[in-house]
Amino acid sequence: MKLFVTGIGIVSAIGLNVEENFHSLKLSTTGISRSAGYDLMLGEVNLSNDAIIKKYDLPEEDFSRTSLLGLVAAKEAWGEHKIDTQNRTGLISATTVGGLDRMEKYYFRAQQDASFNYLPHMTHDNGQTTERIAKVLGIKGYIGTISTACSSGANAILQGARFIEGGKLDRVIVGGTDPLSLFNIKGFSSLMIYDQNLCKPFDASRNGLNLGEGAAFLVLENEYSISITGSNPLCLLSGWNNSTDAFHQTASSADGKGATLAMTKALAKAKIPAQDISYINAHGTGTENNDLSESVALINVFGNHIPPFSSTKGFTGHTLGAAGAIEAVFCVLAILSDSVLPNLNFSSPIKTTRLIPETTFRSCTNVEHVLSNSFGFGGNCTSLIFSKA
Amino acid sequence: MEDLKNKLKEQIIQELNLEDIRPEDIENSDPLFGNGLQLDSIDALELVVILENNYDVRIPDETVGKEVLYSIDTMAAYIVKNNPAYK
Amino acid sequence: MYITASSTISHQPTFRNKGFSSELIELPQSSDVFHPDYASFIPTVNRRRMSDVLKMAITCTTDCIEQTGRKQPGAIIVGTSMGCNTFTKKFLDKINASKGGLLSPTSFTLSPHNTIAGQISLLLGNHNYNMTHTQNSLSFEQALIDAIMCIKDGCNTVLVGAADEHEGGLYSMDARLNSNDIHHTFGASFFIISTTKPNTPPSIKLIEVGSFGLMIDPIQSINDFLNSNELSVKDIDLVLYSNSHQNTLLELSKFFKETKLFDIQKISGTYFTNSAFAMHFGVDVLLQKEHAFFGQNIKRVLICNNLISENLGLIFLEK
Repeated sequence: MKLFVTGIGIVSAIGLNVEENFHSLKLSTTGISRSAGYDLMLGEVNLSNDAIIKKYDLPEEDFSRTSLLGLVAAKEAWGEHKIDTQNRTGLISATTVGGLDRMEKYYFRAQQDASFNYLPHMTHDNGQTTERIAKVLGIKGYIGTISTACSSGANAILQGARFIEGGKLDRVIVGGTDPLSLFNIKGFSSLMIYDQNLCKPFDASRNGLNLGEGAAFLVLENEYSISITGSNPLCLLSGWNNSTDAFHQTASSADGKGATLAMTKALAKAKIPAQDISYINAHGTGTENNDLSESVALINVFGNHIPPFSSTKGFTGHTLGAAGAIEAVFCVLAILSDSVLPNLNFSSPIKTTRLIPETTFRSCTNVEHVLSNSFGFGGNCTSLIFSKA
Repeated sequence: MEDLKNKLKEQIIQELNLEDIRPEDIENSDPLFGNGLQLDSIDALELVVILENNYDVRIPDETVGKEVLYSIDTMAAYIVKNNPAYK
Repeated sequence: MYITASSTISHQPTFRNKGFSSELIELPQSSDVFHPDYASFIPTVNRRRMSDVLKMAITCTTDCIEQTGRKQPGAIIVGTSMGCNTFTKKFLDKINASKGGLLSPTSFTLSPHNTIAGQISLLLGNHNYNMTHTQNSLSFEQALIDAIMCIKDGCNTVLVGAADEHEGGLYSMDARLNSNDIHHTFGASFFIISTTKPNTPPSIKLIEVGSFGLMIDPIQSINDFLNSNELSVKDIDLVLYSNSHQNTLLELSKFFKETKLFDIQKISGTYFTNSAFAMHFGVDVLLQKEHAFFGQNIKRVLICNNLISENLGLIFLEK
């Protein structure tokens, strides 16, 4: 069975829609800058909550930014799709923050002001942030939320694929969304893996990650759904796998076991030999641990013939639950434009592995198959493969 | 110095939640990582936090960290060396 | 698909208590978890960082593995509404108390929703599929649907469960459910689903699971679910329901005219993944030849989770 990607939508630090994001990728323009509010390098989305509420004429409610960013991207991906009783449709999103952006706001306010009754406001869970998006799109039935830390977005896409392949749905909108939160900013800083300057994925002198926010969604359809919607396929989702490193709660193993398994099994699922991969969008956070472990895994899978690869987190920052989905959209764009995307801020390779990523936006003869990696806390490793339709 | 070492042990037991361990179970010269307490990389960060927040001494990088966090003895020596209040 | 192991730690004496469904009484207004001695299940070096919900989940997992002797499930899938909320609160408190110095990282590292599933994989050294579903009251049903897909994809066994902890300072169940009579509890329930039929009868099968979000008419959804499984109302012997809306209860009674209806929420208390408790309760009922409350002809159980009025979860078990 073929799985078609027929819609994409994205909002990130490098653009408020697909066109703007692609433009920034082509020009190698980062969206990360020193945030006035936090005095840290962050990939902030240049769109306020109020602006989103106005744009979609939403009721005056206290929305979580998770839902709002998600809505921007989901609306773009959904486009002109309509709900049709003949076409079984679902929504699977992903997030790590969920309603925490609201929760922390009220919680901190209550610590400062004992007279403020914060409990009635503490009602936002992950699932509810997804339900808010479903309500606007008119989707009922299977509405799900995956939360597996930094691999969440990729796992939501994987779930959607399995639902269609398993005959449970014909069409599914899948993706992830995460706003910035003080909780995560302080959290990653406490782990001492936050680069005070622009992050340098795969570079020998890399110092850690920069956080970002954003959202991205893709519409997946089977042939039956396309016969109803008349959608124009952008590309195929041809392979996927989720495996576990089982090494440590936060650190990746030195032999990159989980990542190796995820990539190898995704290739097997797609029935594609490793050498047919045209481009790899790596997880590449810029931390010492991830980039080394991922490099070892790339060597395990591809040997001496590693395809052109890059991390795009130098553009957007690490968008946590949205990362897998944002980078999936970037992979679709790579296929559509026959190009490989650049890895920013790279100057010299890691000494032990000596891998050199692509550093410029480069046109290729044919970008046929693209692999995307996302690895999260808990040793959760997911690889997706997109292919030309 | 003995008071400092005992206090360090109590703080480590508390912050790392070493439920069944008492201060007298930790030998001053025994390695904290690897065998014995079986601490890991997250615990290492917690020890860095203990040193900075309670004793005002910083660990500038991983190399220094590996030496200083080796045992109770080395941690105490580092505090005494870098914080005049403990001389 | 057979349910070959079940384990629950809850506000009732459910842990390693086969036949518990015949003994349980309605929870009093205030109750606490029946914690087993975790020291005998989890080594100190791992236990020291764990919050209650993690200890419960790991212990239930260990119990399930012991029940079946199957050490490496083909997949590990967890449903949780709020994840490790205790750690989230702990880290928020640390941020609040901080005067600009370094922050202690441990609670942050354990706060992600998938910590439960991740810690299980660490404990077992399991490199297989590992997923966490966080769709509030439908989290467990979605974990089960995922488990069924894994089995159909070729897994022989799947470890699937749900766990939620109560952190009243961070989430308001009362405000979310708009109901007065809430007894907020928590629990962990884990199961092994297998393609291999157990040696000793009876065997309990997981037939089908439904997850209906933002639906308007729960009775219509139940009807559609039964029809798609070629069942009628008469085929269901026992319905275990959970809801906080009197209207739904009236509708259920009218729809399931001759079926035994049982309010499982009065036994488990209220937490978003209590349908996992209900599933273990249902398994326990089916395992008995004659049940103290429900008699001897219970062969098909439907768990009907309408805890949030717009969301409906259905789990269908058969002996």
